[in-house]
Amino acid sequence: MAPSNIETRTARPSSVVSPERAHAFTKIAAAAAIVALYLIATYYVAWANLQFQSLILVAAIYAILALCLDATAGLLGLFSLGVGGFFAIGAYFTTILSTTYGFDVFALLPLVMLATGLIGAILGATSLRVSGLHFTITTFIFTLVITVLATDLQITNGQQGLLGPNFPDVPDFLAPIGQPIAWCVMLALFAVTFAVWSIRRSLIYPVLLSIRDAEPFAEASGVRAAPIKIIVFALASAAIGGAGWLFCFLGVVSPSQFNWSVSLNVLIMILIGGINTTPGPIIGAAFVSMFPVLVHINPWLQEVLYGILSILAVTIVPDGATGALKRIRARAVRRGLPQARRPESPADSFDASVSVGAERAWLDRLLPAVHSSAPKANALGDAMAPIVDCREITFHYGVGPPVLNRVSVKVLRGHIHGLIGPNGSGKSTLANIIAGRLRQSSGSVFIKGERVDGLRAAGRARRGLRRTFQSAQLTKELTTRANVLVGTYGLVPGVGRRAVIWPLLRSAHRDMRLMTQRAGDALRSVGAERWADRRVGDVPHGIEQLTQLATVWVPNPEIIILDEPATGLTSREVEHLAWILRELKGRGLTIIIIEHQTRFLFPLCDLVTVLNAGEVVLTGTSDEVLGHPIVRRVYLGS
Amino acid sequence: MSSANNILEVSSLAGGYGRFDVVRNITLRLREGEAVGLLGPNGAGKTTILRGIMGLLKQRVGTIRIGDTDVTMFPTHRIARGYAAIAPEGRRLFADQTVEDNLILGAWHRRREPQRVQALLDSVYALFPVLREYRHRQSSFLSGGEQQMVAIGRMLMADPLILLLDEPSIGLSPVAVDIVVKALIELRRRGASLLLVEQRVDVAARVCDRLYVISGGEIVEETTPEVVGREGAELINKYLG
Amino acid sequence: MFQMMLSGLTIGAIYGLLGMALSISFYVTRVINFAQGQMLMIAIIVAACLSEAGFNPWLGVALGPLAACVLGVASYFIGVRPILKADRFSFGWMVSTLGFGLVVENAIAYAVGPRSRGFPPLLNDIPIRLGDAVITGQQILALLVAAFAVAALEFVRKRTLFGKVGMATAADPEMAESIGANTMIVSAVTFALSGLIAGIAGVLIAPRTFANPYLGGTFNTFGFVAMMIGGGPENPANAMYGGLLLGVLAEGANSYINSQASDWFPFLILVLVLIVTPRGLFSTSNPLFRPRPARPA
Repeated sequence: MAPSNIETRTARPSSVVSPERAHAFTKIAAAAAIVALYLIATYYVAWANLQFQSLILVAAIYAILALCLDATAGLLGLFSLGVGGFFAIGAYFTTILSTTYGFDVFALLPLVMLATGLIGAILGATSLRVSGLHFTITTFIFTLVITVLATDLQITNGQQGLLGPNFPDVPDFLAPIGQPIAWCVMLALFAVTFAVWSIRRSLIYPVLLSIRDAEPFAEASGVRAAPIKIIVFALASAAIGGAGWLFCFLGVVSPSQFNWSVSLNVLIMILIGGINTTPGPIIGAAFVSMFPVLVHINPWLQEVLYGILSILAVTIVPDGATGALKRIRARAVRRGLPQARRPESPADSFDASVSVGAERAWLDRLLPAVHSSAPKANALGDAMAPIVDCREITFHYGVGPPVLNRVSVKVLRGHIHGLIGPNGSGKSTLANIIAGRLRQSSGSVFIKGERVDGLRAAGRARRGLRRTFQSAQLTKELTTRANVLVGTYGLVPGVGRRAVIWPLLRSAHRDMRLMTQRAGDALRSVGAERWADRRVGDVPHGIEQLTQLATVWVPNPEIIILDEPATGLTSREVEHLAWILRELKGRGLTIIIIEHQTRFLFPLCDLVTVLNAGEVVLTGTSDEVLGHPIVRRVYLGS
Repeated sequence: MSSANNILEVSSLAGGYGRFDVVRNITLRLREGEAVGLLGPNGAGKTTILRGIMGLLKQRVGTIRIGDTDVTMFPTHRIARGYAAIAPEGRRLFADQTVEDNLILGAWHRRREPQRVQALLDSVYALFPVLREYRHRQSSFLSGGEQQMVAIGRMLMADPLILLLDEPSIGLSPVAVDIVVKALIELRRRGASLLLVEQRVDVAARVCDRLYVISGGEIVEETTPEVVGREGAELINKYLG
Repeated sequence: MFQMMLSGLTIGAIYGLLGMALSISFYVTRVINFAQGQMLMIAIIVAACLSEAGFNPWLGVALGPLAACVLGVASYFIGVRPILKADRFSFGWMVSTLGFGLVVENAIAYAVGPRSRGFPPLLNDIPIRLGDAVITGQQILALLVAAFAVAALEFVRKRTLFGKVGMATAADPEMAESIGANTMIVSAVTFALSGLIAGIAGVLIAPRTFANPYLGGTFNTFGFVAMMIGGGPENPANAMYGGLLLGVLAEGANSYINSQASDWFPFLILVLVLIVTPRGLFSTSNPLFRPRPARPA
């Protein structure tokens, strides 16, 4: 998995004036125009009358909250109700420390963000272990406790609350810009929006969504899901704390501004605006926070109307305002097209026009000829060393009977090793133990001579072991290509660190192009490139299976485990799969396959292990296995 | 207007899930007591056709007649009341209920005729004796082959005019596939009309009288197992690889 | 001490009934109906208004839960079904059920005024001595109703075909349709049932709380806590046990810590319970976020 392999192969012919460059110029110009417009708008807000200004600023702060919540709820599926709590901590912390103890407000900002970020990390670490609902409840209770404290404590002045500090005056030469707090709020909103937008354009985006929708797959691709969740939640919490810092300059800080119904309102904002979109939370925040100001009627009727509108919003446009806008635009585009037919799906999954030679070339690009750490074929001694060694593995769920009983299997480097047995014989369990998804009750697993019992799935993936799942674990919302991109996680460094300013970085653009190309090659190698831009939710089962296979060899691994890879494939696709596996073997990969289709499996395998009722019947060559009387009886039938 | 012994007539069926039609212009028929296979590569739309017949597609055009009734506009739960029953892809048992509860739920629309349900239950147990043994076991604890038997049994409990089976052989060991195929042949002997989606040509050829080959969402060939047996290689190369 | 236990158990029975109401609809549709508290409230308001208008208070007691039942069905068809129909795994119901609750609450406040109104005492002025403690007839009624509700629900769930089809609908609605069950009717019936239970809880507690349009929110929260402590998502009866425990703890907190303690103490308990057994005290496994069945292509 050495990244150096990839970079050497990307020396493109440097064209003089490419259309790409012209395209980049238009992009930069558009970005500059948007920034300029935003600054003008901010200037306008900074000079507007106080009522209008506070309306906009409150809406902007809510937009920050909503964007932060969407970063956890939309990207990672963590529905936090802790927004109110972190917001309260930010506001109260700043107010109390600056008015009572005379701290400088600017010095307080990093302090506040650090504190809320830390609390977020602790809260996340304790509650994210279990389930999404558990997290929601814990954060809900966190908000509740914070507001109860704010109401009951002396220092927070109970229900009345505290008057926030004044924002420091700016130096005279900056006076023409207007109210400084307006600039602060609007620029903060800009920064948060930009960060979220950048994340959605970065390589981390498919990784985050795969943590949300297909955590086993993310782990098997080397992604440590738990720390990433905690970090994202902590960062969002820090930003919410920062929003609290901004909020306290706008006037009174009192418990009712932060209670759990505020948290829920923020959630409503993102659902109304459109979850997992960048403009959605902003639109939702604008709607929710401005609604009571703009509609002047009897307060009860106003609430009734708000309720009706929010019901209508989620029932009529379930994907929120942004989804509705997208659909309207799509309809307009379709109307413009000459033919009014519904677009057809690609007819057949498999493309027969591609020659074997071309495919070999793609595989060559993907997987350099012989694996760097693979031994030469004639170096006999080394080649006979097991690359995966399971010693006396026993496994049982709880107190039940063992699913695996003292199973020992040695897989030799460069071999294709088959694993067969009747349903329920423990094949998938063994695969899960080798891959680190399950922990054996006793015995140990060695990979490349190293004992890996202490490593979880992600750690073993980083040591060059990849696996597929019996039922494909992919993110339905993403294209097949984006799903394959998850498999490239770890090939380029610092994906997470660079994510928030991704589009500004030249290195990021280069990595993106490289990885996209790699993902394309991997999809081509399985014959599924025509589906590359289709969302996995819209592709048939077999294409999901092929996509899964592509995710496995896209990072150039050393060992791959395939759990029933031929299930759901046509006989031609199965034949092609066999061809690819032989090619991979020729490149030094070690392959472990669980499979029922014996006609596919036996010709392919160097060795086959037969399991029955959790025990090894025998390990031998295909012929030995085929001739074995017990195997014939329990598995193959007459 | 329809020949009397056609128990299922699908004409010009088109439909899909999202923005795309997965199948187009599907016209097929099934005679009483006949077994017809739908063969084809992945993504060809075989499952979609079954779901269309079962009323499970959100968008759908064309007409579907089962028996003497036009069921095109029927919601799924009405089609399920005696017209068609399905053993779906992936089996989809009610995992936290027992085998017997799964079977009895299959006869939900006959809940007011307990004797009938009991008779059906006995016939399913006669077909798959192992299920009687496991009847109080939670269905998720069964092996793949046994789960497939429960799925087929649940379908039979509805006692419908036509049976729809979606890849009953998928993910099963050779021994289990054999049991399932033998059960299907037994059902045929009892006069059931069934529509079978398969990827394995050998399984379809053992069970079916006629085969439709589906590719790219359309029926491209109507054939018989004998033809497949005779000029198998050619046909298989042409459509199935 | 004994007195505290008794009053804790009786208020706990109310929380438990509400928790059961939440659990029943959650059990079948995987939706937490945030408008459940408003069903309790509407039953109280209807009963109070009827008795204010001079009818026999027991007529209100009969009609109040019926109104809650109707509201339950309405919440399903307005707030839940349109969303689940579009996307079974959407979280939109959070917004729509809250919105529905908001509409009901404020529409009632607008129609009958936001003030509290009296409620007939029913059996509340029949004191019964048990040693040092006093329990009212109304409280005994609450406990009896709670016991009956648990027994009846367990029977329906385990022993009747309707209960089984409810489980099937919960696990896989599309497959439930494919065996001929009309999942819309099944779900609507469960929402009606949960509305009815919430309404009954309402008229049981009303002599103590009086009638106020904004009662719903608090009870909804406590019902939710009862459900989560007990493990109601797995089995509605667990919510009742959770509710009884919650009631005793809240009363205990009020008498031993301070009079505001019931505002936060139960939540502290909930956190502790969830840290120790995330699936609730009375549960065996967690069906809450079971793996999603793959959509066939």
